[in-house]
Order: sequence, then C-alpha cells, then structure tokens
Amino acid sequence: MQRISIAPRADWREKVEAVGLNFHSPADLLAEGATYWDESACYEFSGAEVDQLESAANEMQQMCLAAAQHVIDEKRYAELEIPDEAIEVIEWAWNDEPPAIYGRFDFMFDGSGPPKLLEYNADTPTSLMEAAVVQWNWLEEVYPQADQFNSIHDRLIAKWKDIAPYISKPLYFSSVEDVEDLLTVTYLRDTAEQAGIPTEQMLMEEIGWDDDQGRFVDPDEHIIFSMFKLYPWEAMLAEEFGPAALGTYRDMKWIEPIWKMLLSNKGILPILWELYPGHKNLLECYFDSPKSMTSYVKKPLLSREGNNISLVTPEGRTDLDGPYGGQRFVYQALAPQAKFTKPDGADRYPVLGLWMIDQECGGMGIRESAGPITDNLSSFIPHFFK
Amino acid sequence: MTRRRSLQVVAPLLAATALTLASGCKRPEMQRCVDEHDNVVADNLCQGPRQQRVEQRPDGHGGFIPFFIPLYRPYYGGMGGYGLGEHVYGGGYAPIPGRSYASPSVTRGGFGRSFSSRGSGE
Repeated sequence: MQRISIAPRADWREKVEAVGLNFHSPADLLAEGATYWDESACYEFSGAEVDQLESAANEMQQMCLAAAQHVIDEKRYAELEIPDEAIEVIEWAWNDEPPAIYGRFDFMFDGSGPPKLLEYNADTPTSLMEAAVVQWNWLEEVYPQADQFNSIHDRLIAKWKDIAPYISKPLYFSSVEDVEDLLTVTYLRDTAEQAGIPTEQMLMEEIGWDDDQGRFVDPDEHIIFSMFKLYPWEAMLAEEFGPAALGTYRDMKWIEPIWKMLLSNKGILPILWELYPGHKNLLECYFDSPKSMTSYVKKPLLSREGNNISLVTPEGRTDLDGPYGGQRFVYQALAPQAKFTKPDGADRYPVLGLWMIDQECGGMGIRESAGPITDNLSSFIPHFFK
Repeated sequence: MTRRRSLQVVAPLLAATALTLASGCKRPEMQRCVDEHDNVVADNLCQGPRQQRVEQRPDGHGGFIPFFIPLYRPYYGGMGGYGLGEHVYGGGYAPIPGRSYASPSVTRGGFGRSFSSRGSGE
C-alpha cells in the first residue's frame, strides 16, 4: 500500500458534479487548502493486500452476526443502552430476517500488518456514492489498465433484485435535508430503480402518522409499506414517532432493519473482543474503563464523524467535541497508526471503509485526515490496485 | 478470484433528483398547528376548544375593547417545515377553496428532529 501524489484531472469538479457530488469543496476544507473529493493523491494496493482486506471484512461480518446473536441470547441489551421497549421488536426482526442492504466497516491498515477494525457503521453509512461511482469514473480515466476494489454498484443492484419480491412498492427512501445524506439516499434509490423497483423519496420530517389508520403515510397520504431510511434507529426511537414505529414494525419493511442497532452501537466492540480475544483483526476493547491500556481511544456508544472521541497516549490527549456526550463509553486500544507523508512533508492518516453489501464485502473507499481522528472534514481519496 | 470490478456504473437519476427532492408537487398542502407567532406547535393544541388570550386595545374614544387573540390555530399551506418551533409563512389561517390540505388525522414532523441541522450519516 502506498500513497501516490498525482495531478488532478483539469475538469474534475465538473465531472464529479455531473454524477451528483456537488459538495466536493466545502468552505471549511477549502480554508485549509483541501477538498472533500481529493484526487491530488491516490492509494495503490497489491492484489494480495486487497485479498487481505476483503477476507478481514467478510470474517468481521460473520463475527458481528455471532456477536449480535450473543447479545440476544444473553439479553445484554442494557449494556448497549438499547431501550427496553425495543427489545421484543429487535428479536422479532432478527428472527424474521427482514431485508438488510449495506454497511461499512472502518479499518486501520497500512499494508504492514493485519487490518484492525475500528468500528462498524451498520445502520447509516454515507460516502457510498463516492466509493461506488465517483472513484470508479476516476479509475476509468486515470488508471484504465488498473483495477479497483469496487463492485459496489453491481452488488447493490443485485441485492435489490433479490429482495424485490419481498417488499411492497413503491419503496420509499428517506433522509434529513443534508447534502451528504441526500446524495447517499438518492444514489441508493437509483440502484433500486435500476433493479426495477418503483421508488419515491421524501424527507424524514415529511413522514406522516395517520391516527385513523394507525399507519405511516407519505406526503400524499398513501400508506408506507416499505421504507429505506438513512436515519439512525436510536434517534427514531427517541423521537415522537418512535412508539408508532415499534408498534407497527411487523406491518412494514424498514431498511435497514432495527436489529442493526446491535451492530452500529460501539458496544459491539468490547463484546467482539470478549468473544474473540486476541483476534488479529480486532483491537483490545472494554466498556467503561481502559483497564491497563495506556494508549487508547475513548468513544461514546453512539456518535458520528469522530464527535466526542478522545485519543489518549502517554504523551498526551486529544479531545473532539460534539453533541454525543452523556453516554456510556468504550475504550479501544489505539491501532497501529497508518500514516503517510505528502510531498510537502505533511502527515496524512487514512481510514479504509470496507463496504458490505448484504453479507459480502464489495468494495472500498478511503477517507484521509490531517490528524489521527477521522471526522467530517476528512477527504475522500480514490484507490486502485494492480 | 473474486470479481472486483463493477461492470457498468450507470447513475442517471442522481444530479437532478438530489437537487429537486424537496420541491414536491400535486401534493396536499401542509396543514399545521401554529402559535400566535406562526411557529409550529403540537397538533393537539389545535384540537378541542379554541384557546385564546384577551388583549385590551384602545377603541379610539378613550375606552378599550377586548381583542381576542387565538393562542393556537390551524395554518393552511405555505412554507416552512413540520418540526416543532419552525416558523411558517406564505399560507393563511383559513383554507382556500379548491385546494386540498392534509388530513387532520395525519401528523408530521415526528421523525427528523434529532438531526434537523446536520446529517445523520456516518
């Protein structure tokens, strides 16, 4: 694995905008001389390294499913701060196997040792279109003879075709009105349409609850039977319609299903370590305390984009603020830091996002930061392998 | 060896749909419950007996007349969101004949509040 500095395509802005990526240069990144979509560099992998990453992600998926089964069997919901009222529905959904589409493992890896799992974004991962489409188009123009770990697009369409007979149409797609969320949902909707599924799209706040019918309805007041939502289950349950979502869960198909709450919760990390201690792809991790670790990352059970994370080493401590305080924390050993150097001498820290479509790893997207914590100002860097 | 390349990446909907999502058409117009400042409040405040406050205003002849100001009332059509506290505008306190408005039995805004000012993806 190596980082290669290259000249961006002269018209890269127009090209990424043409497929919908119009937030490629947010002001706060531009102020630092950076962009979100950054093709001034790329990462090159060997085929063996890609094999290693793919294998690690697939193994983690199986281990995570086993860990979820363990949480259910041992009733460890309270440790994950899962609300009591959701348990019955989670167990029903787990046994009923409703459709699940995607998720993203974040790994630390620099080619010199085994990939280390940082976390599993199993419920509401974004940066999907960048990984599936934008970097693919880049590859075809810039490295047409090379390959890319990326069959995300094909796999998504294939997965939608698989589940099409089991969902009512139209399939609704919903998110908040945020450019990144909208793009992810719109792209997923696109792949469903290409699989032959009629779709509609709306905002989360537009979802209606009809008291007379006891059902969720769309803006035209048609009953919603199937919905993909890019919105975390824990937030849904805490909001006004949460009880209605639980009460009607068996009458509609939610994608991702509610059992994803077990995996998108960082409490799954200490449980994985407990079930598979010393596994080469896991980092030592505990609830509530670092125990004897001296270099670790403290993470809330539920947080996003690096918020409320603290990085502690014997040399010092880095804290990121955010709105997710007041929760239980997990303490995860600091991974061997993947760090590369730009030609100007600046350090760059990549995190590898391994995309799971259904149960199989189908591709990779790389976010890169100026510091060791990946946040919402991290850039997306394309990759290829030979 | 596992196939890694995508065969054909076709994403025709993307740019247009992402940009025009929120501009729905042919849909029933919003019907929300608002306070006296035209901020959205819970729908149940507009149900049952009308709540109002009385303000004494000069009658121009040295006296005062009571002025009844509804605390909460339905707001038909217009812009702004469904979320509690959001400001509405461009609509009115009476329905316009010929237009369709959302059913009173339907409430909205019960999802989305936790991430009303930021994305919920990760």
